[in-house]
Amino acid sequence: MKRKMISMFLAAAMVVSVTASVFAAEESDKAYVQDKGTLVIGITDFAPMDYKEEGSDEWVGFDADMAKAFGKSLGVEVEFVEIDWDNKIMELDGKTIDCVWNGMTLTDEVTSSMECSNAYCKNAQVVVVPSDKAEEYQDTDSLSGLTFAVEAGSAGEAEVSNLGLEYTPVKAQADALMEVSAYTSDAAVIDLLMAAAMIGEGTGYEGLTHTVELNSEEYGVGFRKGSDLAEALNEFFVTSYEDGSMMECAEKYGVQDAVVEQK
Amino acid sequence: MAILEVEHICKSFNRTEILKDISFSLEKGQVLSIIGSSGSGKTTLLRCLNFLEQPDRGVIRVGGETLFDSEDSSTQKESAIRKKRLHFGMVFQSFNLFPQYTALENVMLARELLAREQKDYKNRKKDIQEEIRIQAEGLLEQMGLSNRKENYPHQLSGGQCQRVAIARALALSPDILCFDEPTSALDPELTGEVLKVIKELADKKTTMLIVTHEMAFARDVANQVIFMDDGSILEQGDPIQVFQHPREERTKQFLSRYTQ
Amino acid sequence: MEQIMEQMPVVLHSLNIGFIQTLKLFFVTLIGAFPLGLLMSIGSTSRIKPLSWFIKLLIWIIRGTPLMIQLLIIYYFPGLVLHNPIWGGGETGRFLAASFSFILNYSCYFSEIYRGGIQGVPVGQEEAGLVLGMTKTQIFFKIKLLQVIKRIVPPMSNEIITLVKDTSLARIIALQEIIWAGQAFMKGSQGISGAIWPLFFTAVYYLIFNGILTLLLGRLEKKLDYFR
Repeated sequence: MKRKMISMFLAAAMVVSVTASVFAAEESDKAYVQDKGTLVIGITDFAPMDYKEEGSDEWVGFDADMAKAFGKSLGVEVEFVEIDWDNKIMELDGKTIDCVWNGMTLTDEVTSSMECSNAYCKNAQVVVVPSDKAEEYQDTDSLSGLTFAVEAGSAGEAEVSNLGLEYTPVKAQADALMEVSAYTSDAAVIDLLMAAAMIGEGTGYEGLTHTVELNSEEYGVGFRKGSDLAEALNEFFVTSYEDGSMMECAEKYGVQDAVVEQK
Repeated sequence: MAILEVEHICKSFNRTEILKDISFSLEKGQVLSIIGSSGSGKTTLLRCLNFLEQPDRGVIRVGGETLFDSEDSSTQKESAIRKKRLHFGMVFQSFNLFPQYTALENVMLARELLAREQKDYKNRKKDIQEEIRIQAEGLLEQMGLSNRKENYPHQLSGGQCQRVAIARALALSPDILCFDEPTSALDPELTGEVLKVIKELADKKTTMLIVTHEMAFARDVANQVIFMDDGSILEQGDPIQVFQHPREERTKQFLSRYTQ
Repeated sequence: MEQIMEQMPVVLHSLNIGFIQTLKLFFVTLIGAFPLGLLMSIGSTSRIKPLSWFIKLLIWIIRGTPLMIQLLIIYYFPGLVLHNPIWGGGETGRFLAASFSFILNYSCYFSEIYRGGIQGVPVGQEEAGLVLGMTKTQIFFKIKLLQVIKRIVPPMSNEIITLVKDTSLARIIALQEIIWAGQAFMKGSQGISGAIWPLFFTAVYYLIFNGILTLLLGRLEKKLDYFR
């Protein structure tokens, strides 16, 4: 019910804002951000991209550190704001944030509603099952008959529905994991990078493991539609890839294997 | 000389005439009873005298001073009404005691608030309050409620509440004390104690105007009786005349219903 | 169990910060909505017709729609449609927008409670005051006010307890109140993930706070019990 209300409101707001933006004078988003002196970055708590170390108040992570460096190159402060992921487009269009930089998968929906940077990280949608059953589910064919929990509107949902599997949409990827560990669903589909950080030995979900990769996909950074900041970020990515600072940062957070070459 | 003179009072609500040209007068120290069936305008008349309603026409004079004259707008100023009301005391059918105050506080409150307007109030605050307390306690004693002064209204019987209300009205020493069916909301066995108190006030020559359905009481206590019917004064005179030799057919009908 | 004891200080620290946001929103709403609600109840019975119509319309809209939608519209509308994000994107902006929405919403509910309380005082009370030579102001403060308060305390208590729980709705515009803080550990935050027990702890915070409020409001009600 809540989701329905929000999406209805979102749809209405987008119609209004699209109509309104036709009349709005085109101006440089980069100049707007530099003028106010802060780049407001919409994030969620998502290790290892954007997160806080135990007992610290500072946002760190591969995305957070790169965002700080990008801010420096623009000559502005960066401010991290935790948002409700459902509202990210509204937040951007309403100018309450300036970009979404949070391990965001570049889906059709994302690229059509935001101005996106080039891909900077590889990712995949992976199947998560209890470790003791992992043997049985090593290929796509073995998955039929299972009930899945997936984040509503996520790339994972698109994959399971393409395969014609039975699934329950839940609010967040974390809820999908909760479903599996509570045995209310047989399996979940979540991001590979998230799975690597959140399940297995030494995590809150020691009894879970990931098996089949359903697809491969890429992460990008989203700006307001038509923003010139996307181009500025692409240039920044190239520079920092060439001088090695991007890889250095990736190694710090253990995501070096996933980084996409920038050129 | 008459202390109260009422001349040609008219009052309508939504084009319905409730009072039609009412005139009468009342001598100091006398008791006037107003009788009549429900809806005859008795209560509206009392409310006009207390400025809870403004008459459409007519004149009200107390002690020779014109309090209201529909022809003279200077007598209708909102700001002056408050002081004019003090010429009258009012005892309501439903008591209207203030529930959050004790019997004693109910009697004292209005005088205390008025005393604050005196110039020397700040300097003499203690004395003035003491004075008001002594007067209030005296009034409650007179009402036979000395042992009830610290009680709240909901702890008192209807008859006791009405006696507190009478003390409250007397506290401001009004020229004329008005009663609007003071026993109508009481159980029959409680009316006696209230009527007794009013009788005692009459014996002390308190000027009173009593709207009542207690015919026997009206006959005993009143010096003058008015019979109202359909917004007009139909018959007026001393009790013996009105009750025993009514001139009007309508009065006879009304009285026969009450004496059966 | 051992793991929980280890994680406890981190979780409690986060929950405390979230709870302070919850409390801030709660008190700001009360401080704003108590007087604004009174003004609205006076305005809605005003003799100036356009004013009373406007307030009645506003009350109808606010009471007839979910607070969650009001939060979304109030926070996002200025930027989305007017291209002027008046609230700003930071924590302060979100708090201001949430406070504005909550004060507006609760004023409408409070104004109806006030109206009921004021109209519930018998007309005879005012008349008794008038014939005793009191001014309108004296009648309001010395006679009616306490009777109004006595009448509104029970329905007001209900609304206040509801408000405590309603503050969690501000999460929709990413105000990081206590449930947000508790839920973060489910998803993963500060090295703790998949933990549902912090959410049970947030429930304990609510229970304790509501318990204290119920106690205080009950005492107030009892204090006014001396008259009827």
